[in-house]
Amino acid sequence: MLKKSSVVIAKDRLKALVVSDRVSCIPGAYENICRELYESLSKYIELTEENFQVEFKRTQVIITFTGEET
Amino acid sequence: MGEVIVITSGKGGVGKTTTTANIGAGLSKFDKKVVVIDTDLGLRNLDVVMGLENLIVYNLVDVIEGSCRLKQALIRDKRYENLYLLPSAQTKDKSAISPGQMKKLTSELKEEFDYILLDCPAGIEQGFQNAIAGADRAIVVTTPEVSAIRDADRIIGLLEHNQMKKIDLIINRIRMDMVKRGDMMSVDDVTEILSVPLIGALPDDEKVVIGTNQGEPVVGIDSKAGQAYMNICKRILGIEVPFLDLDAGNGLFSKLSHIFKKD
Repeated sequence: MLKKSSVVIAKDRLKALVVSDRVSCIPGAYENICRELYESLSKYIELTEENFQVEFKRTQVIITFTGEET
Repeated sequence: MGEVIVITSGKGGVGKTTTTANIGAGLSKFDKKVVVIDTDLGLRNLDVVMGLENLIVYNLVDVIEGSCRLKQALIRDKRYENLYLLPSAQTKDKSAISPGQMKKLTSELKEEFDYILLDCPAGIEQGFQNAIAGADRAIVVTTPEVSAIRDADRIIGLLEHNQMKKIDLIINRIRMDMVKRGDMMSVDDVTEILSVPLIGALPDDEKVVIGTNQGEPVVGIDSKAGQAYMNICKRILGIEVPFLDLDAGNGLFSKLSHIFKKD
């Protein structure tokens, strides 16, 4: 099997680093934030884990979910 | 009315000074009146990269303190008709000037010059705050390395926090041979993480090292880096130019080799 290229490792590390830098939180907090947002929002909105996504921009947190299908 | 552009990076040693020198020289070739300012107090370097170190009489701090007139401190680069350098002070530190004073100086220079380029010191302390104070737009320089990209992301965050109107990205020292075998992040990888518009991608070109040795900009010379710098200047001027193919080899092997690139 092919070994993971070093670029893939670099990108994974950077993505985690950049999120924790952007919101100045501890590494790993991203997972917790996503889970808690999901739990809170699902009280009011019908969500599924598959279509729920949290993205950290530098000055905003973007929560995406696909709404009810018509 | 001129435009003030700060060239910054966060991390040191990624090529801010070389970039400033080459964009400055390049823009002057388009008949623009350009001044490049070294804002790294205590660690003067732009003069050496440009080969003007023996012509310094007064510096940035002298101008700000009023020890000389602005015109006296500006060094004209004889090789480029419209290019001037305002060198940094070697014996002062960051606290010698304030963001307010820099703002005043740049607005004065805007009356006379088309472009004012500020070579920003590394770091995020007062030197950085001084350099960005009067800037209309920023160019962030990075290399395809984890540490440089992380710092670039922080710098972009700080620039946005300071309401910088326009932020563009330069990726420096790309080695296509390494990108192809999956050992260096590509231009797309880096722009995806940083999510700011790309204004230039530069190959790791030995001509740049040779140019710095000699104190001569490489912009416009017949090399990949020379062309890439020229393209950046055109984009600053609002001319649309396609991005250069950084692939040095055009042979059959290099054309085929990307097929075998690892994920």
